[in-house]
Amino acid sequence: MGDASPEAAAAKAEAMRGFLISLPSYLYLVLFFAVPFVIVLVYSFASRSSTGRTVLGDWNLVSYKRLFDPLVAQIAFRSLWLALATTLLCLVVAYPFAYFIATRTPRVRNALLILVMIPFWSNFLVRTYAWRVLLGSDGPVSQITQVLGLGETRLLFTVWAILIGLVYGFLPFMVLPLYAAIERMDWSLVEAARDLYASGWTAFRKVTWPLTTPGVIAGSILVFIPALGAYVTPAILGGARTVLLGDYIVDQFLAARNWPYGSALSVALMTVMLFATFVYFRAGGRNL
Amino acid sequence: MPAVELIGVTKRFGEVIAVDRLDLAVDDGEFFSLLGPSGCGKTTTLRLIAGFEFPTAGSVRIHGREVGLEPPNRRPVNTVFQSYALFPHMTVAENVAFGLEMRRLPSAEIAERVRKALDMVQLAHRADARPSQLSGGQQQRVALARALVCEPEVLLLDEPLGALDLKLRQAMQVELKDLQERVGITFVYVTHDQQEALTMSDRIGVMNEGRLLQVGRPEDIYERPTSRFVADFIGDINLLEGRRVDSETVELVGGHKIRVLGDPSSSHVTVAVRPERLELMSDSDRPPDRLNRLPGRVIRRTYLGDVIGYRVDCGGVVVEVKEENRSGLVVRQVGDDVLVVWEPEAGGIVVD
Amino acid sequence: MERLLAANAWAVFAFFYLPILVLIVLSFNENRNVNIWTGFSTRWYGEILDNADVLRALRNSLVVAGVSTVCSTALGTAAALAVERFRFRGRRLFDGLLYLPIIIPDVTMAVMMLLFFVQALDLVNGLLGTRLNLGLATISLSHIAFNISFVAVVVRARLGQLDPAIEEAAADLYAGRWQVFRRVTLPLILPGVLGGALLALTLSLDDVVITSFVSGPGSTTLPVYVFGLVRRGVTPLINAVSTVMLLGSMLLVGLSLMVQRRPATLGGGNR
Repeated sequence: MGDASPEAAAAKAEAMRGFLISLPSYLYLVLFFAVPFVIVLVYSFASRSSTGRTVLGDWNLVSYKRLFDPLVAQIAFRSLWLALATTLLCLVVAYPFAYFIATRTPRVRNALLILVMIPFWSNFLVRTYAWRVLLGSDGPVSQITQVLGLGETRLLFTVWAILIGLVYGFLPFMVLPLYAAIERMDWSLVEAARDLYASGWTAFRKVTWPLTTPGVIAGSILVFIPALGAYVTPAILGGARTVLLGDYIVDQFLAARNWPYGSALSVALMTVMLFATFVYFRAGGRNL
Repeated sequence: MPAVELIGVTKRFGEVIAVDRLDLAVDDGEFFSLLGPSGCGKTTTLRLIAGFEFPTAGSVRIHGREVGLEPPNRRPVNTVFQSYALFPHMTVAENVAFGLEMRRLPSAEIAERVRKALDMVQLAHRADARPSQLSGGQQQRVALARALVCEPEVLLLDEPLGALDLKLRQAMQVELKDLQERVGITFVYVTHDQQEALTMSDRIGVMNEGRLLQVGRPEDIYERPTSRFVADFIGDINLLEGRRVDSETVELVGGHKIRVLGDPSSSHVTVAVRPERLELMSDSDRPPDRLNRLPGRVIRRTYLGDVIGYRVDCGGVVVEVKEENRSGLVVRQVGDDVLVVWEPEAGGIVVD
Repeated sequence: MERLLAANAWAVFAFFYLPILVLIVLSFNENRNVNIWTGFSTRWYGEILDNADVLRALRNSLVVAGVSTVCSTALGTAAALAVERFRFRGRRLFDGLLYLPIIIPDVTMAVMMLLFFVQALDLVNGLLGTRLNLGLATISLSHIAFNISFVAVVVRARLGQLDPAIEEAAADLYAGRWQVFRRVTLPLILPGVLGGALLALTLSLDDVVITSFVSGPGSTTLPVYVFGLVRRGVTPLINAVSTVMLLGSMLLVGLSLMVQRRPATLGGGNR
């Protein structure tokens, strides 16, 4: 290889062409993504003056040390279990749901898919707000429970409200990849398993489930990541005692004005995300 | 001057050598087939002629003009793809007109030539259909018309009949050959189907592992394969291993001596002989002395309709025999003692 | 089993739609107290039209969404073509860079954008003596930054389904590179490009976190404005604005369905 044959020259020209086509978006992402990433990294080592200004130059690890504060651990733990619970709930509900859609006749299937697409495309903020209306102290849900003699519901501003909001918000992200995986599966394989004396449940466990795990992994990643970094949902449905990582980070910038600490938190969160996706890609999934 | 000439062409993809120092000349007006198993480099060779790949080394010439590094749109050749590659967003007529439009011909001429091309493939009535509305055979004809309407110096066909069912494929083979004779354009045809190659080609080049093993007329390739691979790849054949005794005698593994034509050059010899060239006789038939004979016993009989196949164990060598199912044929039973008999000219010596 | 599956499915659909329906119904409640139904009225929709803040926020949103959709669609499509059709040095790095904005949570992206623009504006203003500030421009630039990746993913999926022989056939029929792209590749990936554009538009109209970080005075977008109101409580005006936003979303769903319904197959489908 490496010979200066005319073919190699032609291949080089072709590679150059590809590079040039990528160049505008490449440069854009370097300038508006890679560089900002580096700036956040730099800020996380900076210090903060008593007035809340960020001082670049006096580099230290103060912000990172604060990550080991029990308060942070508490918030991180709350975020983590909420994200995991959201993912699990979505999976448990969405799998049979996607299975149901995928096993309908093509006409019904397309109609049902449209019904899934509508919430998927609908404004996330508005959908979250709907639960604020529903769960309010004299909102519709509370009115119903009162009529039923169960008393007022006091869900709003608790973690339970956040959990409902997260599941509601991210369920479509779980349904669509699961549907894609189940729909694309070769059903004759299940029939083959049944033919080879597998019970319905065993056929599912040994054939259907393994064949659809790429969809399960993709859906889980698509739910887990935004749920872990959620900001809008806890901000609308949560209260002062249900702070999550997302609103905690935002607070450092918009309220507490501690940018270095907020940066360190961001870096930590990103590291977790990148690790999670790395595991995902190692597990063999490729389609987001 | 050959229509297509490849001189010392090599194509490497990373570490893999797809085409290995290939020399080939296709004559003007010829129907030439490249035949070989999948992965033998035949499609890469075609793509080198079309311009979809550039050679790592060597020269590609079309009517004497060097085109090795020209992009496909600057080569006077057109291709019929295995998947047809019709433009799904254009009608049949728009597909056929595409090449002429790209060459900026006057629109009146384009319309006229498109009409003629569609007439030629009997699809004038589907001019406004989309490719997806056509049957496989019809799509195939559109692909053909789209390439031929440009009047290329060479037409390249990459397994164009591969996606059709058997009946349609056989009909299209005849049609393609007729068409080629009518338009007089040089065809280079890639296929892995030996029957197809034998039926249509003026000449065949057999490829394996990036190399061109033998080039010749269909009867040359079938009757006188020069290598074990060619002999084995095309049709059924008996390969008899043996040792050279003298310039025209070979002693087979079982100890029987047979006569061959052409002096075997090495001491170890492989003699190739087609099953249909063998005949079964009984001792009482007294075959003439000049014929080769192997005594043996029938161990399997296969009824194929027009042909009856036998497997005969001749003590150390097992041979396949095919006898035409004509009236008066003596049908042997499994276990019968027979003589396998053939003319010495029917056996050829092949190299490994 | 089948019954259970069906029951689950209808429960999920109810879960999806009931909250939205309640919201829409309540937006037509005439009472100032959202939760006490006193009669049907469209007065809150009238109030939207009288509310200058909402209208300005809406206009800002449309400007940002329009600009960022056009730019990110062009950049994202080119990016998809480059990674899917070419091999070049740095391709793997580019591929990775292209995925990151999808993977990273909104909050961290928002932090990145804020710090970047604070530094960048400092630098530019110092060098050129200008007094540029956070505003619609910085919001648009941020939206492009995450939308490029989403457009690229959608377009790549479409390109991946395209039989490469179709583009080769065009080149074989004397089309130059540009003609191959304009006459064959682009028309065939157009549903993907439009789908990507609609996704970009939706994401841009949805974004709260990143926008609120990089917006300046007077450059609030509609979701950010509504978010500010929502944090303070439930009002009939928000219900009405929300219903309008939902309607906009439905419009986009309809458009995207139309785009994907185009019957163009991608070749190679006859095997």
